[in-house]
Amino acid sequence: MTLRAYIISRILLTIPMILILLTMVFVIMRVLPGDPVLLHFEKAEHPEAIEEMRRKLGLDKPIWVQYFDYLFGLLRGDLGKSMHDFSPVAEQIFSAFPATLELAIYSMIVAVSIGIFLGVEASKSYNQPKDHTIRVFGIVTYAIPIFFLGMIFQIIFAVNLRWLPVGGRTYPAMEPKGFTMPLSQPPGGVTTHLFLSCVAGLIVSTLCLVAFKLKGKKITRKILGVLISVFLATWILWAWVGWHFISMGELHIATGLYTIDSLLEGNLYKFAEAIRYLILPSLTLGLVLSGVFIRLTRSNMFETLRLDFVTAAKARGLKERTVIYGYALRNAFLPILTMMGLQFAALLAGAILTETTFSWPGLGRYIVERINFRDYTAIQGAVVFFGILVSIVSLVTDLLYAYLDPRIRL
Amino acid sequence: MRGTRAISRIAIVGIVIAIIVVAAVVGYFLMQPAKKESVLIMGTTDTVESCLDPARAYDYFGWEIIQALGSGLVEYRPGATGAAEDIVPALATSWSVSSDGLVWTFNLRQGVKFDDGTEFNATHVKYTFDRGMGIADPEGPFVGIGYSDIIENVTVVSKYVVRFYLKIPFSAFLSLLACQASYIVDPKYAPPDQVVEYKAGDARGSHPMGLGPYRLTKWTRTAGRDQEMVLEANPNYWNASGGYPKTQKIIIKFYADSASLALAIDAGEIDIAFRQLSATDINNLKTKTHLKVWEGTGAFIQYLVLQEKRPPFDNPTVRKAVAAAINRTAIVNTVFLGQVKKLYSMIPIGMFGHRDAFLTLGDPNYTLTRTLLAPLGYNETHKLTFKLWYETSGHYPQSPELAQMLKASLEASGVISVTLEGRDWAQYRQERIAETMDAYILGWYPDYIDPDDYIYPFLHSSGGSWLHHNYNNTEMDQLIEWARGNTSQSVREQLYEQIQDLMVKDCPIIPIYQGSAWAVTKTNVKGVYLDITQSWRHWLVYKE
Repeated sequence: MTLRAYIISRILLTIPMILILLTMVFVIMRVLPGDPVLLHFEKAEHPEAIEEMRRKLGLDKPIWVQYFDYLFGLLRGDLGKSMHDFSPVAEQIFSAFPATLELAIYSMIVAVSIGIFLGVEASKSYNQPKDHTIRVFGIVTYAIPIFFLGMIFQIIFAVNLRWLPVGGRTYPAMEPKGFTMPLSQPPGGVTTHLFLSCVAGLIVSTLCLVAFKLKGKKITRKILGVLISVFLATWILWAWVGWHFISMGELHIATGLYTIDSLLEGNLYKFAEAIRYLILPSLTLGLVLSGVFIRLTRSNMFETLRLDFVTAAKARGLKERTVIYGYALRNAFLPILTMMGLQFAALLAGAILTETTFSWPGLGRYIVERINFRDYTAIQGAVVFFGILVSIVSLVTDLLYAYLDPRIRL
Repeated sequence: MRGTRAISRIAIVGIVIAIIVVAAVVGYFLMQPAKKESVLIMGTTDTVESCLDPARAYDYFGWEIIQALGSGLVEYRPGATGAAEDIVPALATSWSVSSDGLVWTFNLRQGVKFDDGTEFNATHVKYTFDRGMGIADPEGPFVGIGYSDIIENVTVVSKYVVRFYLKIPFSAFLSLLACQASYIVDPKYAPPDQVVEYKAGDARGSHPMGLGPYRLTKWTRTAGRDQEMVLEANPNYWNASGGYPKTQKIIIKFYADSASLALAIDAGEIDIAFRQLSATDINNLKTKTHLKVWEGTGAFIQYLVLQEKRPPFDNPTVRKAVAAAINRTAIVNTVFLGQVKKLYSMIPIGMFGHRDAFLTLGDPNYTLTRTLLAPLGYNETHKLTFKLWYETSGHYPQSPELAQMLKASLEASGVISVTLEGRDWAQYRQERIAETMDAYILGWYPDYIDPDDYIYPFLHSSGGSWLHHNYNNTEMDQLIEWARGNTSQSVREQLYEQIQDLMVKDCPIIPIYQGSAWAVTKTNVKGVYLDITQSWRHWLVYKE
């Protein structure tokens, strides 16, 4: 099986997986006692108002009609509207996802750097006081409740020292905007634009030609065909994309990750603020996660350091750092990578406790809130979204495996 | 040779890092925006539940923001008790009522302008009420409070005179006009047949208000929860000449829970923490010298509802025996650390018509409980047993603890045995409508500030049908209807006295406690009024 076939089959396999997940959630949510219709009425409810609301939420139809309606909506890329506030679920999930992603990335960086560094240090001095200290540290951070550690940090760094904020993602009205470039229509209108696209196509195909020439090959008919297709493809792409942006009036790039958006915007103050707000949550979450990585790295490195190739490398006079981080760690890395993939997928599903402790506007809180409200569509949407995310993460992990371990390459 | 190369590499890395750090620090201070206008930062754990359109918004925080963005015909003066003389002019300067209480005429303030310079007049009043009653959003206050059962129609008499014709004489009509559901909307932003919902990136288009002390200049939500809100002073506010609002800009920060809100005010990150701080956090913040804790009358009450459809609570004597066995002192001190008030009436303390009616049954009076239950055959060996239901998902403060304490105080009588049943709010809500619960704890925030809002929805046979407790007493219905329809405050006070006496006799609902309103601010924050209206008056608050 080639790598491409492998990737395609993996992607195809996610479809039944998500369908099964979705069906389970669909049924479980409706079997759970509690009715989203009634929850719209805190106080007095009138029977007509209840009926009206049931119709509005689409819950008056038979359950199998609801199920297929939802599936067909999903095929069109429509996650439906929330049963709590009637806004599109996709919009809500995407508005919170960058916050979750940013927190996940930075806590993963913290966890992995602390975990690997301490794990390596422990394995070097196996069964010595240093090793015992690191192991105890690993166990303590692993066992400590996130909200407790978070609160200790808040009390020290926010309340007493006042260096860092207690919570939130950034100071209100400071949200980084990303990169925006105003675009004006070219003076000649469509014709000029198409001409410019033509020039762009020429430039790209010339570059291709240079690349071929540099390889020392003669221009054959085959290469000429490739060049013409490159020219046409560039021309069409440039014409279409360029015109699309011009008609929007501006080119706007914003990732929703504040550390990146503030840099795109070129505002270091906002960047520093974004980092300031990130430090405590990512440090808390990263420390708690690091315990796992310490233990994994320690045991794997211990095994690897006893292997012959390490001794051979040392005998050749390579620096210890090179031997450990360049040779041994790369061999001991596979289980760590698996764990990284698993943990990262879990982090994307929302670190609910961290998000609550630091008022971080991510997805974890959204899901808990919506389960309480029996917001069927929101929960279904979130499950589909996470299903896709987790499969992407595990696919990437597997591909990295192949990259790191030549034996797995097929 | 290798050594020098390593050193030079380290040196290069060090220089690059140093440059980045210096650039970051310099950039940080260069780009720091200058602060000159008066700004207040508020923190809260609340969020707008649905939207900021009075045709649908029916939650505390939604109304708090609507009150900052809009104005009503009348409003409550700061420090109000809910009495008629507490209602002061806002967009209406004076008013009169016909002798039968059915026709109300309002003279409007002249020269008040919307954002775009259009002058406010009588057609806007008519538009607002026609729109709210026309949309009749099922979850909105127009349906919930029943505007259409009260108002027959709104007529424009002249440019500055508007007249309301009522279907029934309704004594609390001015209170109804003072509540945020009755705030005037701007027709340019309020389509006649559609509720205005949140629009990402368009704060002005996300609400239909105008005419208020503030404008909403920023509102972002992530995943259906508010993330940032900025209010800026409205130069067209009708009371701008009076020097309001006192603060130019209010920034609202949103926290996930009481603990982080308490830490934020303690760390000086925010100027004001308003709602919801837990009893423990408030007690802790009271000890800080750099903070000021404000306590005000609250209008939130909690009460125990008894199901009268079937035994044991179909018998008023049993209900009375339970009412006599409730130890409110223990509940207030143990569960809420003394931060709420014991409540012996449906009408809250601080509102006209309130009297400690249930105190006649003792607090607790176990002898009375035993005497009442003995003839019915309940004693130490054959106890009165029932299930006490409560919600567990944090819909009300400290619910499980409250239920535990209620159980303990009831069982201390020696003749009652209680089993606790906890459900999350979604399920609890469903059980209520299915009438499966014998005794259940509920809570109430007022819609309009009048005793009627604490009596009619609970004790009237049709007004209280949503409780599903099956209480029906024609004498009670008659008294309530009289009290609703009479415009004389002294007559109403007498009627409410009779209603409360009758309530103690029937015991369909047992009041437990009344919450207080709490705000914690920096010591230099002034102009905080926490009265029975529960309103946060943004325009009065300022920092010295």
